[in-house]
Amino acid sequence: MDKNCAIETIDLTKRYKGKDKPTLDGLSLKIPYGSLFGLLAPNGAGKTTAINIICGLRRFDHGEVYVAGYSTKKELNRIKPLLGLVPQELALFPSLTARENLMIFGGLYGMRGLILRKRVDDLLELFDLTSSKDTVINHFSGGMKRRINLIAGMLHSPEILILDEPTVGVDAQSRKLILDKLVEINKEGTTILFISHYLEEAESICNEVALMDNGKIICEGKPEELYRVYECGQNLESLYLLITGKKMRDYHE
Amino acid sequence: MSKLKYLLYKDLLLLVRDIAGLLLMFLMPVLLVILMSLLQNSTLNSVRDAKVPILLVNRDPGELGKAVESEIYRTGIFEVSEDIDGEVPSLNQLEKAVASSKFVLGLYIPENTTEEIKLNVAKYVSAAFNGVETTSGHIPVDFTVYIDPTTKSSFNSTIMSTLRERAQKIQFEYIMKEITKQVNLLSPIPISSNSFSGDQVRIQIKSAHLEGNDIVPNSVQHNVPAWSLFAIFFIVISLSGSIIKEREDGSFSRMLTMPCSYSEYLISKAIVYTIVAMLQFAIMLLIGVYLLPYFGLESLNLGNSPLALILLAFSTAFAAIGYGIAIGNIARTYQQSSVFGAMSVVIMAAIGGVWIPLFLMSETMRAISLLSPMHWGISGFYDIFLKDAGVLAVLPESAALLIFGALCFTIAVTYNHKYRMDI
Repeated sequence: MDKNCAIETIDLTKRYKGKDKPTLDGLSLKIPYGSLFGLLAPNGAGKTTAINIICGLRRFDHGEVYVAGYSTKKELNRIKPLLGLVPQELALFPSLTARENLMIFGGLYGMRGLILRKRVDDLLELFDLTSSKDTVINHFSGGMKRRINLIAGMLHSPEILILDEPTVGVDAQSRKLILDKLVEINKEGTTILFISHYLEEAESICNEVALMDNGKIICEGKPEELYRVYECGQNLESLYLLITGKKMRDYHE
Repeated sequence: MSKLKYLLYKDLLLLVRDIAGLLLMFLMPVLLVILMSLLQNSTLNSVRDAKVPILLVNRDPGELGKAVESEIYRTGIFEVSEDIDGEVPSLNQLEKAVASSKFVLGLYIPENTTEEIKLNVAKYVSAAFNGVETTSGHIPVDFTVYIDPTTKSSFNSTIMSTLRERAQKIQFEYIMKEITKQVNLLSPIPISSNSFSGDQVRIQIKSAHLEGNDIVPNSVQHNVPAWSLFAIFFIVISLSGSIIKEREDGSFSRMLTMPCSYSEYLISKAIVYTIVAMLQFAIMLLIGVYLLPYFGLESLNLGNSPLALILLAFSTAFAAIGYGIAIGNIARTYQQSSVFGAMSVVIMAAIGGVWIPLFLMSETMRAISLLSPMHWGISGFYDIFLKDAGVLAVLPESAALLIFGALCFTIAVTYNHKYRMDI
């Protein structure tokens, strides 16, 4: 176990029942403390399975997973308060208001009373949602829902924040706001694992990236170093297509 | 505990915002209990008030003809006709009328029956007092009774034994009168035949009760507990639906990444839906006691043991919630859970005696009904409402419901732990 890593997976293997190939095939990944780490991969490469395992939502067949130095197998209860997850789906209660949603999630993170109320109000203000705090989520636009989804994951100021496609389906204004805030909280010390299909987003905010395919890491490092090593120009898209190929990656769940 | 507070807050809010679900859980059973109580009450009354159509041709102007006629009217079980289209029928016409199912029974009392019986009886008694055998020359008096051949033999036997009983009673009274007359001729002190009249043996038929209260089961006493049980079990749809919705929209997974355990998640659901079930039950009881009498139905007698009532209602809620949580965990989609949940609850209700009371079911169906948790509940509530039973009497039913609920909880937790973590 590397003590400098916020998240570390060692030779992680996971095969679902009825599948020929393992979804994760010896995934070894190191995400240093303080980094804004981009994990990029084509569809079906195993990203969501990896995130679910890191968060303790799925079992795995082989390997080790450490979050903040704790094993997910043995010390999940220690990991949970340190971790914030912003899932790809809008994991909110649609018939409740923005404020009610955030109060519930904050309460489940162990926050209480005035501290919780102030934190909720501050984040609603920060993400420009104060005027809509008492509106039910069902009536929100896609961008507003994404922002609430993000706030719900970072309410308790986690040491490590995992974001799975946090900007899917949002307008340019909401996207910029979300990305700016991520950079800001990363500078304040939060380690961020950022997963996205939008390569230009990862390029603009991530200080380290890893490319994943067929359940394992193909390459990882600082973007500039990777461009140099692979001699593929100065953008992640060229690097990504060079490494993962141009063949379609349709798959069945 | 404080995390549980936020889970409870969440589940209560979600429930309150689900107007359609609330209507389904509270309004539907209220409408059902009122409607079914009224329907079954009128049906039972019509069955109770139905009379047997009889064609009575009494050609005997004497006492016996009158006595038989008045007995037939007095019983109240016959709808008596004495003519067909205004004309007194012959024996032949009477037979045809019964054969064509216009009447279930046709009774023909021939002319001078009274006189012939009197003559026969006088001859018998006189011969008896003179020590003479009278079997020779005995001519019995015939009543002709025609019975619709399509009627059940048990019904025919009942009717015939009733008629025989009435005829023998009348014959006995004549014999006694004749004996009295003969005795009075011989005795210096006259005796009255009234001394021999009256029934010396009376058979009393009463419903069996644990504590002797004279409660007769009625449609309210059946329908209120039956539809309360149905309503409590119907929360399965809302409960399993809420579990699946949270799983589908990702909020369930999000909660599990928080310092909140799966058991806390389930306990919160169980507490909220127990409150719902107990509220449903209280509302149904209040309707049975206060509202149904306004519809001309009897008021529900709640028995003498509130504790037994609460225990049984809680056990039912526990069973229903366990079942709902099991469906919510095993079903993959909301559609699966709502279709399976609704169908299984309706089947449980049907075989458990909610729609049709158990005493109207065949022996086979009664045996099958033992499998339904709703049957256990209904049996317990019958004990409380009809027999004034206490906690001890409903313990077996409560235990069965609690075990069923616990089994469902275990299946849900095991399934979640074993399979969901790998899906």
